[in-house]
Amino acid sequence: MRSPFAYTPRPGPLQAASPAAAVAYLGALAAVAFLYSSPLVLGAVGVAVALAGYLAGAGSAVRAATRLGLAIALPIVVVNALVVNRGETVLARLGDWPLLGQVDVTAEALADGAIFGLRAVVVMIAFAVYSACVDPDRVLRALRPIAGRSALTATLVSRLVPVAAADAARLRDAARLRGPGAAEAGRAPLARRLLAGSLDRAVDVAATLELRGYSLESRRAMHSSSVGGQTRRSWRQRRSRHDRRFYLAGALVLCAAIAAKVLGADDFHAYPTIHLGLGPATVALSVLLVLSGFAPYRRKPRRRRV
Amino acid sequence: MSELAIRRGAAPALAVEGLGYAYPRAPRPALADISVEIAPGEFVLLAGRSASGKSTLLKAACGLVPHFHGGEIEGAVTVAGLDAIESGPGELAAVVGYVAQDPETQVVSTTVAAEIELPLEMRGDDPSSTARAVEEVALALAIPHLLGRTVDTLSGGELQRVALAAALVTRPSLVLLDEPTSQLDPVAGDELIWLLRRLNEEWGVAVLLAEHRLERCLAAADRVIAMDAGAVAFDGSPGDFLSWSHAADPALSTPAARLFSLAGIAPLPTGVRQARQALALREIGVGATAVEAEAAAPADPVLDARGLWVELVRGDDPRDVLRGIDLALRRGERVALMGRNGAGKSTLLKTAAGLLDPVRGKVGVPGGIALLTQNPSDYLVRERVGDELPGEAGTAALRVVGLEHAVDADPRDLSGGERQRLALAIALAGQMDGEALPGLVALDEQTRGMDRSRKDDLVALIADLAGRGAGVVVATHDVEFAAEFAERVVLLGDGVVIADGPADEVLSGGWYFATEVARVLDLPGVVTPEQGAAVLRGADGGDG
Repeated sequence: MRSPFAYTPRPGPLQAASPAAAVAYLGALAAVAFLYSSPLVLGAVGVAVALAGYLAGAGSAVRAATRLGLAIALPIVVVNALVVNRGETVLARLGDWPLLGQVDVTAEALADGAIFGLRAVVVMIAFAVYSACVDPDRVLRALRPIAGRSALTATLVSRLVPVAAADAARLRDAARLRGPGAAEAGRAPLARRLLAGSLDRAVDVAATLELRGYSLESRRAMHSSSVGGQTRRSWRQRRSRHDRRFYLAGALVLCAAIAAKVLGADDFHAYPTIHLGLGPATVALSVLLVLSGFAPYRRKPRRRRV
Repeated sequence: MSELAIRRGAAPALAVEGLGYAYPRAPRPALADISVEIAPGEFVLLAGRSASGKSTLLKAACGLVPHFHGGEIEGAVTVAGLDAIESGPGELAAVVGYVAQDPETQVVSTTVAAEIELPLEMRGDDPSSTARAVEEVALALAIPHLLGRTVDTLSGGELQRVALAAALVTRPSLVLLDEPTSQLDPVAGDELIWLLRRLNEEWGVAVLLAEHRLERCLAAADRVIAMDAGAVAFDGSPGDFLSWSHAADPALSTPAARLFSLAGIAPLPTGVRQARQALALREIGVGATAVEAEAAAPADPVLDARGLWVELVRGDDPRDVLRGIDLALRRGERVALMGRNGAGKSTLLKTAAGLLDPVRGKVGVPGGIALLTQNPSDYLVRERVGDELPGEAGTAALRVVGLEHAVDADPRDLSGGERQRLALAIALAGQMDGEALPGLVALDEQTRGMDRSRKDDLVALIADLAGRGAGVVVATHDVEFAAEFAERVVLLGDGVVIADGPADEVLSGGWYFATEVARVLDLPGVVTPEQGAAVLRGADGGDG
């Protein structure tokens, strides 16, 4: 079964944009999630990345990331509530616990945990949209001139991970098909077998890379960088007409977030009592963030009347 | 032979002189004193049994041997003027393309377009010439519609074409292919061979193709090189090759050649067209006699599928792979399950074995089922045969497959055929009542990369299992193999049963899912060389 986070080519602006433009846009939204603690702003960033994902056709990635994010967020909220005793609004006194001592669950600790959880969900959705919409081949191509070995490793890993997953599924099937009189496959022998198979696969993929001339490129790159100190590469990343839109959206989001922060838009604190300020700067920034989620919107081509 | 394509006098596409090679730590050399030359534009078929050195020769021609595998090498290998022993695979990539057996491990990019662009990008070509080369090779291989797809959504045949496109995009003077059709159904396999022939004729690219199923590609070849134990045993025209193999190694002969040989007709034909022409010239009338198919005796059902629907999900796209299958198999029956890649063969077997759940309908295996999936090595997880199969149940299973002598062996030291039988024993262990087998033994695509002698061993094993009372069903693309072992053929098409009947009838009733003999004679019920020869002898005698 194909992962919802796997890249799927679609004719949307986000998929057509260069990796740098997509990273600038989604990265700016993720950065705002780290800059702010205001639930209104975090919620707005969440709406923006989810909207961007849906408009880019990556709805299944958004849903899967939300589920995964909530599964991570929930334990964060619970653990924070149990571990942190700060806050004046005590909701429950759970008595003395081993290691933790007196455990009082406060509304403030719950809110603080919820902010951490919300941040995790938002960042995961942003990453899921990136993963489902940005062509990894183009990312690796962009990385190759500046980090050849890392790009080679990433190429091998990106190819071998799905192959290893398929191998593991096959091995599990074979383990289930062993007759009742055969020794149980066992986890350790299966893991050893999977590892050995992965090494064989890695050798095959490395051979294919050799045949495609990968080693030739690294040698040429070394040679050209050593002669004259300049690497002249004839290959250029293809630009997209949508790049400007995403660069602009990213820059606008980041600049507005920094300006609003300076103006006091991040007016939230959990302790000692919960305080949420909803000043004009906070509201304006939130509206701007939600609107930035429309950046991947694709206008339907107009029909020309004859 | 295409005279225009073969530019005699130009530097040879491949020149091998006194080549000897041994893999690291190998007890004996894989190649010994090989000397061959391939002219530009020549289409050469590399024949030989398993482990005869075909793959190693191909790897030497593209530089993987010795640059990637190491080992000791002697002699000279020159590809379009480049010394392949001095130059690495990267340098050679400009003049030689290589396509291996398993398409899964030949793709390194996420999308098809990126995969095909990669060699040009590595070479430093500019984007405009790259775009044109990608477009042209995609058009030549009829895959422009795949360019925007990710490689994990492609079928085996599509993936093999993409690998071929990546090998051809640099416009090499030589392309090497190592059993490229072994994982393809008859339709995709035939398409690939004739696509190669067309590229060979139109682009002038020399082709060196290693294959076991010679009947698929002999007619397309200009020349055949047969290898035996790392040396060249024969080098000549396809017609001469058939005469040589008939005397020296009948396992390399094609069904049509065996048909003519048994019927006493000469010369031996290289393909269906030549065989038909030869029969027409001799005025041997075929089409009048048909072999009566024997009706199968009813017995207990060992597989009973009724209204079976199975849905598989791939990405966001759930698909009904089986659509209302009704099928009953009986004890002692030998059944070939055939159909194109993706027709639902493996899904049917996995559902019967309980690995998949139907969305509607039901399937029952009253006497139990032992299923051997496509990769027998997946069953082998320990380092001693006896540890895989302990106790009396294990010993009984080993006895059934004839491996009771190998209890202390390491499974990795067994031959390919023995490993396959060991995996079958693992699936059977504990399911037998004494020596009695489970009701159904199912084998999924077990003949990939097998030469004919190993297939004959498998045919004998299947006959033995059926003789012991098990129903045996084998999913296979190999029509000649099906004709050898099966008494019944079930043909699946897009998740439904499109033909079900005696093997002789089904395998003579079409074109792609028909044996070479059936295609030559076009007679209902005549599928094997022996059946065909009997008909031809009768027709010849009758006509005077």
